Amino acid sequence: MPGYQIVVLGSIVPDPLQTLEPVATPQGPGLKNEAMLPHVLDPWAGHALYEAANLAAKVPGSKVTLVALGPKQKLQQVMMAVGQKVPFELVALDGPASGFTDAHEVAAKLADAVQKLPGLDRSALLLFGGWESASRGAGVTLQMVGERLGIPDQFFGVDELSVKDGGALQILERVEGGKHQVSVCAGPPAVLGWATGNLPEPKNNPQVGMANMRGVMPALQKAPATPVGTGGVKFESVAVPKVARETRVVKDMSPDEIAKELVEWISQD
Amino acid sequence: MSDENVPQRQTMAVDVACVGFGPATAGFLTTLSRRLADASKPPLESAASPGMPLQVLCYERADDVGFGVSGVVTRARAIKAAFPDLDASQIPMATPVRDEKVLYLLDPVGASRRSVTLRAADKTLRAFHGADRDSFELPWAPAFLHKTDGFVFSLGQLLQWMAGQVMATGTVQIWPGTPVAEALVEGKAVKGVRLLDQGVDRQGRPEGGAYMPGMDVHAALTVVADGPVGAVGQQLDEVIGMPPGHARREWAVGMKLVVDLPEDTPLQAGTVLHTFGFPEPEIFGFLYVHPDRVASVGIFVPSWFESPVRTTYRYLQHYVQHPRLWPYLEKAKLRSWGAKSILESGRRGEPFLAGDGFARIGEGSGSTNVLTSSGVDEAFATGVQLAEGVIELLEAKKPFTRENLEAVYVARRRDSWVEREGQVAEKARDGFQKGVVTGLMGMALSGFTGGRMSLGDEPPHPADQIGTLEEFYKGKIPAADIARIRRECAEKGVPLHDALMDRAGWPPVPMDGQVLVSQQDALLMGGKVQAPPGYADHVVFLDPELCRGCGKRVCVEICSAEAIRPGDGGTPAFDREKCVHCGACLWSCPTRLPGTDRVNLQFRAGAGGLHSAEN
Amino acid sequence: MDTTLLLSPTEADGTLPRAALEALSAAKAAGGTVIVGLFGAKTGPAAAQLAGTGVAKVLAAEAAPLAQPRYGTDAAACAALARAAGATVIVAPALSRMARVAAGVAQRLGGRIDTHVSALSTEGGALSATRWYYKQRIEAKLQRAERPWVLLVDPGAYPAAAAAGGAAPAVEPVAVELGPELQRSQVTGVHAPTSGEQTIRPDAKLLFVAGAGWTKKQADGKPNPEKAGELILGFLRAAGASLGTSKSLTDQAGEGQKVLEFMTHLNQVGQTGSTPRHPRGLSTCCHGEEPHVVGWRFIRERRAINLDANCGWARGKADVVYVADAFAVMEKVNALLTAKKT
Repeated sequence: MPGYQIVVLGSIVPDPLQTLEPVATPQGPGLKNEAMLPHVLDPWAGHALYEAANLAAKVPGSKVTLVALGPKQKLQQVMMAVGQKVPFELVALDGPASGFTDAHEVAAKLADAVQKLPGLDRSALLLFGGWESASRGAGVTLQMVGERLGIPDQFFGVDELSVKDGGALQILERVEGGKHQVSVCAGPPAVLGWATGNLPEPKNNPQVGMANMRGVMPALQKAPATPVGTGGVKFESVAVPKVARETRVVKDMSPDEIAKELVEWISQD
Repeated sequence: MSDENVPQRQTMAVDVACVGFGPATAGFLTTLSRRLADASKPPLESAASPGMPLQVLCYERADDVGFGVSGVVTRARAIKAAFPDLDASQIPMATPVRDEKVLYLLDPVGASRRSVTLRAADKTLRAFHGADRDSFELPWAPAFLHKTDGFVFSLGQLLQWMAGQVMATGTVQIWPGTPVAEALVEGKAVKGVRLLDQGVDRQGRPEGGAYMPGMDVHAALTVVADGPVGAVGQQLDEVIGMPPGHARREWAVGMKLVVDLPEDTPLQAGTVLHTFGFPEPEIFGFLYVHPDRVASVGIFVPSWFESPVRTTYRYLQHYVQHPRLWPYLEKAKLRSWGAKSILESGRRGEPFLAGDGFARIGEGSGSTNVLTSSGVDEAFATGVQLAEGVIELLEAKKPFTRENLEAVYVARRRDSWVEREGQVAEKARDGFQKGVVTGLMGMALSGFTGGRMSLGDEPPHPADQIGTLEEFYKGKIPAADIARIRRECAEKGVPLHDALMDRAGWPPVPMDGQVLVSQQDALLMGGKVQAPPGYADHVVFLDPELCRGCGKRVCVEICSAEAIRPGDGGTPAFDREKCVHCGACLWSCPTRLPGTDRVNLQFRAGAGGLHSAEN
Repeated sequence: MDTTLLLSPTEADGTLPRAALEALSAAKAAGGTVIVGLFGAKTGPAAAQLAGTGVAKVLAAEAAPLAQPRYGTDAAACAALARAAGATVIVAPALSRMARVAAGVAQRLGGRIDTHVSALSTEGGALSATRWYYKQRIEAKLQRAERPWVLLVDPGAYPAAAAAGGAAPAVEPVAVELGPELQRSQVTGVHAPTSGEQTIRPDAKLLFVAGAGWTKKQADGKPNPEKAGELILGFLRAAGASLGTSKSLTDQAGEGQKVLEFMTHLNQVGQTGSTPRHPRGLSTCCHGEEPHVVGWRFIRERRAINLDANCGWARGKADVVYVADAFAVMEKVNALLTAKKT
């Protein structure tokens, strides 16, 4: 069986424990001190990348390419961490990675970059990405890239992919009630928006890192400027939801009285 | 388990392996990468991979460059020499120093432990001079302390900027999230480094299929720049020994908050305040103002502070409430928090700077100057000095032997201002062994006589300096109360420090959730502390029996992140996911291993820690 | 006037999913004439359910290949329905089947999409949508110039539209081209999760968070994890609550300490764990630090039991804090709840 061309779409997001506060910028809403916030590769896009590498290792002749749209400096920094994990090639586009940018504009640029990949072969193409990012969190960009590329086999909330004899792809997608829908797709091209999957995070491997860096640094150096904006959106308000409540501190009730009050509260409809 | 199932330890060969990315390695790689990228010079070829350019790798423990560091206000002499066009506006949180003051803070609370001499001095000051908001501004900043031609930086941001420049040349690689467990030592020579094992449980035992033994990276030159508490530095000191008469005796833990100042703050960017006197006379403090209404405020708790109750965090909370500072900080908002150890021994703690196959730079090599209260620029300078030496050797195709490295690196260092000023500082703080007033006088004496005169004697091993609670609180808290507090805290499984400070008269801290927050909130909201799974505990109590007999548990009291807590049966419990790798526990353990200079607490290399690049 | 299309798949038995009736309320909030577009193997029963809900008409794309939730065929059906409706605003429930295609359909129609919508409103004739960004940490209200505008509404954001009596709306069939190139994938089944003591109940009315304090030393100087486990499980059973934990307790479980064995990292709320949705939450023996409390974003009413009157919950993060021993209180609570049932 010829190898797959696995193209992973993913970008960078602020590290999960950072404090986020929206601010107004000339380009639309942004995050306070966004340039200073430590960033990581978007978690579910990361899972997609590791699943891609896992599949590529099993199917000889396969290749993994990460196409990432983000600020070049930040991408370089994140590559220092991600580059140690699994082998891949990088195509970098130098532009904003803010969650407030319009997904449609981003999808247009990404689809364009995918179509320009040298030697792209639709019959071997698997387009991977995260189901939803930790930034825009809409779960729409990958789907629109797939649509632009004319791929009618798309799967989201994927936790598992296995290749059956004959090359058919068995895919598990998350559906309601904590269940998974099982589908079998005849083969590439296909789009998979990954959730967490089942693989553990790959360990840092210096040899993988050194090999990756030979391609990553030139890719970053030639990253084309790729502006994206907020489309036709007018933001009326952007805010962190208020969290402070007027707490009633109860100090001198007996456990019996507290229990009664709690049970009453729990039983309300 | 058969050998086929256990993954083998991989090996790899490079030319230069650096341990740690801090200001010293930044100086080293900036200088080396410029030479490697210089197309007008003959290329420097790799001996490890013939036909390839020189393979230079840097392994940093923290999950990103800029996470494991903190600071700073600096004269930046070496930094400016390397970056003559340095424009502070290009680096977040950087600004030239505009206004510098030294403040002596009086104690409005009345709970600090001041000597009779000091209390008399306080009274005199108030009577004759008056005290503006319980403080007294020195009419001038002593020359040895001033930073007026320098910068206020966030060291995290500065290092991220420098790392970005270095990486962009494409000639060297920096790998964060990659702790180095130890150097590969043969006799007194270093052959490279071994990375930390992954996929192990807390005791370091392989966990099924996830186990990946740390790679052995062979290198002709290992640059040891892992800071004051780095594992490789500690290992080399132990295996190779220290130069005669040299020892690491003086430490401090620095802890700080980075805050957003209120919109109407009168503080200008570039303002630098150095303080001493509060919350305890021994505790030095600082407030530096960055651009965009951001400020760094913090304190240093030194190893010669006799109290076994060394709660830096609580002291920091009292510090920010001092009447001289509180008006600026009252409506501020916490944005970052961090802590680190500072090796204050300086020249006296200098290890062997070079050997066969290795060289040491940065704070771990004793470059920090405690008199001028600076270390970043010194560290950077030593990195530049080593790189210049290394380039010389590479161009002459000479090997990295001890003699050669001494000739090209150590000689440069000895000939530099780092050495000259380090010698002045060598005994500058010895007076503090006798008391704060003596200490301050001694500093002034050393500073003004260029190190020719000093007060006090060489400090003892920090383990021997910690008194008992009963001694420390004699006259303030009766022994019966101390016993009661010990019991109650043991029952609740909490450290003693808060209860003792409360009892000693320190008022409760009025938490506001903005700048006065719980220690865990500071850790998580401010420091964003996290650690990846699959690594062993890096703080290890070697002999649990010795812990059981230890009455002081200073490690618990001083742990910056409450990662070391009272444990069952007397051995403390360690939570590696809270540890910020400050290393204060290492020099606070009062229990020496019999017959050695080492203590029962071992501080090893580990992953994770602070995830803030704003410190 | 504008036309708003409510787009939804039908269930296997042809009825409307509950989330679709909720989205119908949202569609009505968007204003204008509301048309419903249904797709599936059977649509008749769903159309009948819409009687008296104020819907102008129903467009139905009914075909055998639409029995399977699948991108190729579902997207074609949705596009056909949208074109037939000529709607400028398309509202859909965020069911997995709908979310799989909504963005692709928006792209196909030359429109735009916003998801995780929690509210729709019209002010001065312009439609505004409220949606989440950054994993429910930032909320934004926005308008879009482009049309058609597809809006995927989160479940629980709106009440189900009530039927006020009346005839069922007229049903217009819509033809869809479903060629073999759209049917390269086949759904072969559904996997259910493996069972165990089910402690995560997404539909529960109450989230019960057990914090690290449950495993600490009690008044007698000894920890009592067995009793803790008994009380916690007892409450979950008696109240039908869902179990959450803080990170510290999850970690203790991971260390092989003799702690609450029914807890896993999947129970973790906040920090790197989940942000579950429940109308009420009761926190016990948990300090209420910010990174954990961030996971309580969607818990409307909050109470806490903690011996520390200065814990985070007391500082604005909960509605009520009972300064008391959780062991004692939960023992009584369980007794009362059990008595109520019998």
